[in-house]
Amino acid sequence: MKKSNLRIFSIALVTLLVITSGGLVFGAWYLKGLEETVIEKFEKPFSSFPSKIYSDSYLLYVGINVRVDDLAEKLRRLGYFESSSPPKRKGEYHIARSGAVEIFLHDFDFPTEKRQGVPVRISLQGSMIARIENLATDKDLFDLELEPELVTGLYERIWQERKLIKLTDVPPLLVKAILAVEDERFYSHNGIDPIGIMRAMWVNLRSMSFQQGGSTLTQQLMKNFFLTDERTLSRKIPEAIMALIAERKYPKETILQNYLNEIYLGQKGSQGIFGVSEAAQFYFAKPLSDLTVAEAALLAGLIRAPNRLSPYRSTDAATKRRNVVLTKLLDDRIITRKQYETAVREKLPERALVKVTNDAPFYVDYLRRELDENYSNAVLTKEGLRIFSSLDLQLQRKAERALVEGLKKLEETHPALRRKGDNDNLEGAIIVIRPQTGEIKAMVGGRSYQKSQFNRVFQAKRQPGSIFKPFVYLAALMYGGQSGVRYTPETVLNDSQFTWNYDGKAWQPHNYNNEYFGAVTFRRALESSLNSATGRVAQDVGIRRVRDVAQRLGIQSALPAVPSLALGAAEVTPLEVAVAFSTIANGGVRTRPLAVKLVLDQNTQPLEKRDVRVEQVINPQLAHMMNYILKGVLDRGTATSARRMGFTRPAAGKTGTTNDYKDAWFVGYTPDLLAVVWVGFDGQSKLNLSGAEAALPIWTEFMKSATASMPVTDFVAPEMPPESEAGAASKCGPTSREGELAEACPQPAARPVREAL
Amino acid sequence: MKRSGWKRRHCYSLGAAFVLILAGCAPQRAPYRVPIPPHTIGPGSGRVLPPVPPPAPAPPETVYKPLPQEPKILEQDLKSKAPPASPAAKEPGRQPGSGESRPAPDATASLPPALADDSSLLAKITPGVTPQRAASLRLTDEGSKLLDGGEPAKALDRLERTIVVDATNPYGYFYLAKAQFRLGRYFESLNFLAVAETRLSGEPFWLSEVHALRGENYRAQGQLQRAETSYMQALRLNSGNRTATDALARMQVETPSASR
Repeated sequence: MKKSNLRIFSIALVTLLVITSGGLVFGAWYLKGLEETVIEKFEKPFSSFPSKIYSDSYLLYVGINVRVDDLAEKLRRLGYFESSSPPKRKGEYHIARSGAVEIFLHDFDFPTEKRQGVPVRISLQGSMIARIENLATDKDLFDLELEPELVTGLYERIWQERKLIKLTDVPPLLVKAILAVEDERFYSHNGIDPIGIMRAMWVNLRSMSFQQGGSTLTQQLMKNFFLTDERTLSRKIPEAIMALIAERKYPKETILQNYLNEIYLGQKGSQGIFGVSEAAQFYFAKPLSDLTVAEAALLAGLIRAPNRLSPYRSTDAATKRRNVVLTKLLDDRIITRKQYETAVREKLPERALVKVTNDAPFYVDYLRRELDENYSNAVLTKEGLRIFSSLDLQLQRKAERALVEGLKKLEETHPALRRKGDNDNLEGAIIVIRPQTGEIKAMVGGRSYQKSQFNRVFQAKRQPGSIFKPFVYLAALMYGGQSGVRYTPETVLNDSQFTWNYDGKAWQPHNYNNEYFGAVTFRRALESSLNSATGRVAQDVGIRRVRDVAQRLGIQSALPAVPSLALGAAEVTPLEVAVAFSTIANGGVRTRPLAVKLVLDQNTQPLEKRDVRVEQVINPQLAHMMNYILKGVLDRGTATSARRMGFTRPAAGKTGTTNDYKDAWFVGYTPDLLAVVWVGFDGQSKLNLSGAEAALPIWTEFMKSATASMPVTDFVAPEMPPESEAGAASKCGPTSREGELAEACPQPAARPVREAL
Repeated sequence: MKRSGWKRRHCYSLGAAFVLILAGCAPQRAPYRVPIPPHTIGPGSGRVLPPVPPPAPAPPETVYKPLPQEPKILEQDLKSKAPPASPAAKEPGRQPGSGESRPAPDATASLPPALADDSSLLAKITPGVTPQRAASLRLTDEGSKLLDGGEPAKALDRLERTIVVDATNPYGYFYLAKAQFRLGRYFESLNFLAVAETRLSGEPFWLSEVHALRGENYRAQGQLQRAETSYMQALRLNSGNRTATDALARMQVETPSASR
């Protein structure tokens, strides 16, 4: 051999050795990486659990009015299925000819107790619940709490819903069925099944289409770890290697258990259904242990194409697939012929899929903002917290509808409000609160969440306009005038032009349309929202006291003590307005606004409970007097159109329009429900509409629908009627926490009001 | 609040009360001067309402009309230690204006007879009661049983429902106060009691319970004088109030000089 050839050979050999050893090192490093991935997935298979947000639960009790349609809708949203006969299984309901509603309740872990599902019957008399029976015990119940609805999940990339189970918890029949259709030779291969691959190739070649896959359960499990459905060689090869590694490192039972917890089995809106336990709940509303042979066969059959074969999509396709699995089970002698025949006859009910679509995005954003203070994003998206809120999804939907349709109608009737493109469109917001508890029942922060996530309920500070006036009148009732006047609803005020000089400046309020009414009663001045009369009252009472009352009621924004404050010149949020008027509606008892009620960890241990907080900040007689006057706003004042639109139940409220017509407001309430509506442009364009024209119709439509099934209640006078001598005296009498007010309480009027003003 | 100011104010109010009593007038109710504590408005938001600014001083000629209702000892009275405008104020052992509110051993001798037990909530469900009130009363009853069973957290959950179903149910507020008390949240308990009190003014039995529970809260906070006065007020409304009787007896034994 020539020397040069030897040299070439040596170089080639060295190169080969280097390449080979490099390849080996790289291969070892690559394998090590895959092994680490497998170990990580097996040791910590499910490290990320989305937190779930629930609505408030729904309490039914004897005597309450219920519309069967509303109840049925609620049940469907809770995942109950209507059956044509009395319900036999958990998660079914039936509406009898008599009108009674029979429900087989789900099991549910309420925050304070675990409820086992039982059959109940709700008998109605007209629209009123006359009786509630527990059919399991034949005992009467006085109330029934339906579980809260799942509003949405908080997750990072993909919402995976799963409930972890042990292999021993899975019915053997389901395991056998899955192995029979997905990987017959599971216990024989080492992660890859060459025989299975060849058989699949043969079947596919014969049919000239993709009929069978050759992946083993272990390979499928590896594929699921990557959370993609990519079918490339660069994905298949590592999957196969990982399958071999997994089989070498873990027993078959561990692999099978992981598979049963990990396998993708369908989609519920944005929520992916993973694992057989979650799937049993999703498709059959029952735990695994209660599955019938037919249901187990269907579940096993769904693995191939969960969405295409889903019974929610097509009962025919699902039935066909189920029967294929049943035949296979019969052929393999896993089930008897009798079992087969019974299962094949079982009819799959047609059910509509109720998706979890997050109907309350603005509300959820508000919740997240509250939760962010105590929980990091990682905790919220990975630790599977259960967050119970005050949200009422039915009211939320009604509020959304009222706002969207109301704004659309406004644009139709007032073309000047329409904007081209997406620039500064007409916007609005609604917040709904239960005054007694401060629970925020609904929140719509804008017209379209997709277009703008700006939540006008708590992020937009706008001038409240005349909505602020009740605070002036309440201050007048509480403190009286500095002139010595003691105000009552019948006090006569002077509604004429005047100038208020302060700090070397002059302020002159003007009435709407520059109309002045001369001598008007206190009550009439508020009902008709007269600026001039209000300004005079504010001047007499003192603007600092007006500010004090507004803050006491719940306004948090900075309120400058200037005369224009009396007519709502300081900017506030709709949320603040809602809290302040809730205090009046609730007899002077201020509550804190509640959106998050309870946070539980994965083990249902409470992390945080926010309970109802109350504080008597205003004398109840005074609060009642304000409610009484504000009822007049709807009955005789600026909001009478609500009555003409068909809202007839006892209610109080106040319209609000800013001087420059940029903001239109209405706040109105029954004793049990308060809603604030704001309409305007984000860019401060002029609306040229009053609160009565722009916000009141939206409020009215919402309240008509929201209160339709609520009992009619009126504001209850406190023990001492305000008109009585005692009541009048008590207006200045301190409640246990109102001493400051008493201190400033004036003498009874000693001279005519007109003179004082 | 500075202690010197507190003392001075008390001297004034005690002196004023003493003069008024000597003149045969009903004592003026001095306002409750503890400023309302900052109120968290957003749940967990940490946002705090600005403190309520102190009101302007009342004109010197201001004279309040006494309320023509069952005289009550309000918190401001407790603070000023002025005797209430009630017959009990003249009971032996009580020294108006002295600051000594501990009753003499025979102080209870002049108390009115015990009221009939009105504690059954279910008995209040009569045919005329609205369905809301009936449901709310049943929920309250359940909540009270949970409280008796030592489950205040569960009870609280149940009792919050009572005011959702019927906000006018005063017993719901009372038991909410009780649940908060059991959970050691005395400030919240006192707030609920303040609401309950305004809604129970026509029911001496329950009003007595309110005062007794208020006493329990004060006692738990270590405000023994206030506690004692609340218990006494409870007994003035219902001498059969066991909570108040037992608590007073316990206080006599445990802290014989508590009020000093």
